[in-house]
Parts: sequence; C-alpha cells; structure tokens
Amino acid sequence: MMLVQIPDALLLRLAVEDLLFLEADLLDQWRLDEWLALYTPDAHYNVPPSDVDGDTADPDKALFYIADDHVRMRERVIRLNKVGAHSEHPRSKVRHLVSNVRVHREGDAIHARSSFIVWRSKDITSDAFVGHYLHRIIEADGGLKIASKTCVLDMEALRPHARISIIL
Amino acid sequence: MADFPRIIDDRAASRFLVPREAFTSEATFEREYAAIFDRCWLYLGHASELAEPGSFLTRKVARRPILFTRDKAGEYHALFNACPHRGALVCRERKGAARAFMCMYHGWTFGSDGHLMSLPGSSGYPDGFKTDPQKQMVHVPRMERFGDFFFISFAADGEDLATYLAEAGDYLRLVSEHSASGMQIVGGTQEYAIRGNWKLLAENSFDGYHAACNHSTYLEYLKNANGALGATPLSGIAHDLGNGHAMVEYTAPWGRPIAHWVPLWGEEGKAEIAAIHAALEARVGSERAERIAHRNRNMVIFPNLVMNDIMAVTVRTFYPTAPGYMEINAWALAPREESEWLRKYRLYNFTEFLGPGGFATPDDVEAIEKCQQGYASGGDGLVNDISKGMNREDGALFDDEEQMRCFWREWDRRLAAVEA
Ligand code: FES
Ligand SMILES: [Fe+2]
Repeated sequence: MMLVQIPDALLLRLAVEDLLFLEADLLDQWRLDEWLALYTPDAHYNVPPSDVDGDTADPDKALFYIADDHVRMRERVIRLNKVGAHSEHPRSKVRHLVSNVRVHREGDAIHARSSFIVWRSKDITSDAFVGHYLHRIIEADGGLKIASKTCVLDMEALRPHARISIIL
Repeated sequence: MADFPRIIDDRAASRFLVPREAFTSEATFEREYAAIFDRCWLYLGHASELAEPGSFLTRKVARRPILFTRDKAGEYHALFNACPHRGALVCRERKGAARAFMCMYHGWTFGSDGHLMSLPGSSGYPDGFKTDPQKQMVHVPRMERFGDFFFISFAADGEDLATYLAEAGDYLRLVSEHSASGMQIVGGTQEYAIRGNWKLLAENSFDGYHAACNHSTYLEYLKNANGALGATPLSGIAHDLGNGHAMVEYTAPWGRPIAHWVPLWGEEGKAEIAAIHAALEARVGSERAERIAHRNRNMVIFPNLVMNDIMAVTVRTFYPTAPGYMEINAWALAPREESEWLRKYRLYNFTEFLGPGGFATPDDVEAIEKCQQGYASGGDGLVNDISKGMNREDGALFDDEEQMRCFWREWDRRLAAVEA
C-alpha cells in the first residue's frame, strides 16, 4: 500500500488555515475573549484606509481606520462585551469567509496572505467587507500564535458601510 | 418653490424646535442644494495636499466632480472635472502629478489650468476652435484660500471667503498656529458613509450633551482601563461665530499633542511636550498658547466643514446624496515638523476615538442612523427639541445646544431666502 506523501509546505499551510478558520469561527460566534487569546501579548491589529498601499503603509505615519496594539485590542474586546457599545448592541450577525491562503516562512515568522469577505448584518444594514488578510504568525507554546493581522480592504471606500464596529 | 419645514425659535419661552420633516423630505433636500450647497463657500482641500507644482487631486464636492490642480508655476485651479467635448470625466485618478490631462474618450488634452492644448483631427474643426472659451475646461466660479485651507463656491457672486467665515476664520488661524512650519494633511483618508441625514452629523460633530450616554464605553476606557490620563474635567462653553458657524471650547482629560501632557506619555514625553509648549508661547504669546495647548474645540463651519481640534485635529466634510444618506471624508491635520514619536501618538489618539473603527464614532453613527429610522414613524408636526441651555442667563455651556441653534438659524434663513 502506498501512502501519499504530503509535502511540508502543504502541512504548514493546513496548520495555518486551521488557525485562520478558528479565528473566523470565534469572531462569527462573538467569542471575543477566545479570539484575543489567539494573539501574542505584543500583537497588532490594523485596518488601513483605501487611499494608501495597505500592504506596506505604516500606521505610525498614515491615518488608518484601525491601528490597535495589544492594549487596545484588549480594550476593544472589553468594549464590545458591554451593552454600552451601542453600535453592536444588539449584536450584528457576522460571517467571515477566508480563502486562497498562501503561506511562506521568513526567519522565525510565518507570513500568510489570504482573501476575505466579511458580512455584517443588522436591522436595515447588510454590508460586505472585501479584502485580504496579512497574518504574521509565530510558533509559541507548542502551537501557533498570531503576532499581527492587517486587514487590507480591496474597496474604493468604506461605503455604504458607516463603521467597522465588528472585528474584521 | 414649495414651502419647507420652518424651525421654531422662541427665545422668550426658551423653545427651539426643528420639524423632523427637515431630515426626510425630498423637496427640502433639493432646496438645500439650491439654497446652501450651490451658494455657500465649501471646503475643497488643504495646500499640503498639492505640495508640488504639477500635482493634482480629484474629489467630489456637493455631488460635483472637481479636479484640483497646481500648475507648473505653482498656481492653484479648481476645475469641473468634465470634458468640454462630450462631458466625460477628464481625470480618472485620485491624485498624482501630471503636466496635462488627456480625456480618454477622444483624446482632447488639457493643461493644469484647464486650457485645451490639443485635440486629434483638428482639421475637422474651423480656425479658432481650439481657443474658443467654450472648448476649455470650466473653472469653478470661485475659489479662495484662507491660510492653507481652500474653499470653492458654485455661485459667481456673493461675499468673499473671509467675510463668510466671520469669527470662524480666527479659529482656522488658531489651528494653523499649532505649527511653526505649517500644518499638513497626514496621508490616509477615512472615507465612509452614514445612512442618515447630513444635518444629523453637523449636530453630532459638536454635541457635548451626548458624550456621557452615547460614549459611556469610551469614557470608561479613558477612566479605568487606560489609567494614564490627566484629571482635567470636561468643562467649557459654546461660541456663536456668526453666519451659522459655531463651536464648543472646553477642557478634557485626554492628551493633546500640542501641547497637553498626560501620564500615558511618560517622563520623556513630558520634556518634549514642555519644550513644544515653551516654543508655542514664545511664538504666539501666553494667552493664545494657553488656548491652543489646553482647550479643545469642536467647530462646524456652515454648512459642512467640521474642524475638531481635540486629541488630534480632524478635518471632516460630508455631503448628502439623498435625504437619508451622506458621504463623509475625514483627514488628520498635523504640524509638519512633528517628531515621529508625537506623530505616532497623534494618530494613535485619532484612531482611538475618531472614525469608523474608533471607540466612539461607531456609536455616533448608530445614533444618527437610529434618528433617521425613528423619523420614519412620521406623524404631522413631530419636532426635535434643541432648546437645552436657552434658559441660561450667562451663556450656554459646551454640553448645551446653542451651537446647534446657530446652525439651524442659518439653515432656516438660507432656505427661506432662496428664490420662490
Ligand atoms: S468627451 Fe472628452 S474628448 Fe470627447
Ligand atoms: Fe460623539
């Protein structure tokens, strides 16, 4: 009997996909504390605007939609867990679709590039956020942790969307 | 023109009412374009956006596509971005540098000042065709600058910009004085939309009353989680700046890059902020330095330029495309000479509070959209109450509604004045 050999590169991609799918699933279920636990303590979460090169722009030099360090990621989760986060209370329905995951290693880090569509639906509104994710992932505690995530919107503007009140 | 919903402004009884129809009526929306957006001075852009001769940007202003250019001599031009031949958009890029603009339809080519430079197949046209005034790109009837802020008006006549700005001009100057070398628009534009009437955002942009309720989670974050802010309380007053412009000016617990230190910025930051403060004092005098450094200002220049000089400086403008929908553009303004460290904090401050992904703006958006939805309940004669603080003898406070009344009085005056 012949077993098919699975190349290491493919195994790595499967492991990363598994992480990205878990992240998407936690966000869809509003399990935000568990989502935050996927990240390293020095992580960043960024959403650049549409009129800069989102793959390379620096949130310390250009105005972003979201430029969170880990402290602010934590505060974002705390806020979204409160009734007073009016934009997300009652909570919107959220669905993250992640595909076309491409992975490569660079030193200790794994860089993943993938496509996303995130739907947010609430009362009169149903909006799709379309773009690509850039994840930087490291191996820690015998597993994978996310060190940074940049959500580059492949959109001309955030319209008609009025807000990024969910986590992309 | 048909009637429009009039405000009720009864100072003796401290009553101020705005009919909800003002936010929902199609006829009122069209009347606003005729009476306000086609008459008033409207913000176009900042000089720093066209830093080099030969640079350009395209932008919609009050539904109209505008091409804003700087020619090689350094002169600025505001052109309607439509080809004199058969009307196509001439420039289809957001920004860049160009010596000429070629319309992609038949190839007519224009200079930065809009003049027709060349056209293919010119033998099919009579002599003098190329220089016929009607074959040139059209300049917006009026463009003026106030400091580095450029405004346009679609009305050929009317008061000049400085007269129009009234006392608001001094606050544009105050914002410019943050810097010794000039202010600049930081790269990156927040471009979003709200499913609500544009006047709801004008109100919201300087509404001091809603913070405690609408932004409770942001205030809790400042107080508890961050734990690194100053103890300065929220407190201040409203100013009527004339011609419908108004402002609230107040102290607040957050840090200001120019130049109000908070513990979050550490001892090193303290020294840098102190140096900025000292230089500011030397440059503009202690009274003005005091206001620049320690007071926050939310200003609305009628009808739709928001200049909020708070934990960062935001320039924001917005236009309705329907009674229940508006498009918003927001930029960050900062001193050219700012250090990397402070620029980083400024932008960190900005995204913390402001914009579609901030800890506050999404809840403003929610409030605006819920108002618009509430108005669908209809009913004749339903009105909004904007009277808070009218009964005070010694002037309205920052969390009263006087600044909104200034806006509404001008709105009412202009809509009433338009040709019947
Ligand atoms: S429409 Fe522009 S060249 Fe014909
Ligand atoms: Fe607000």
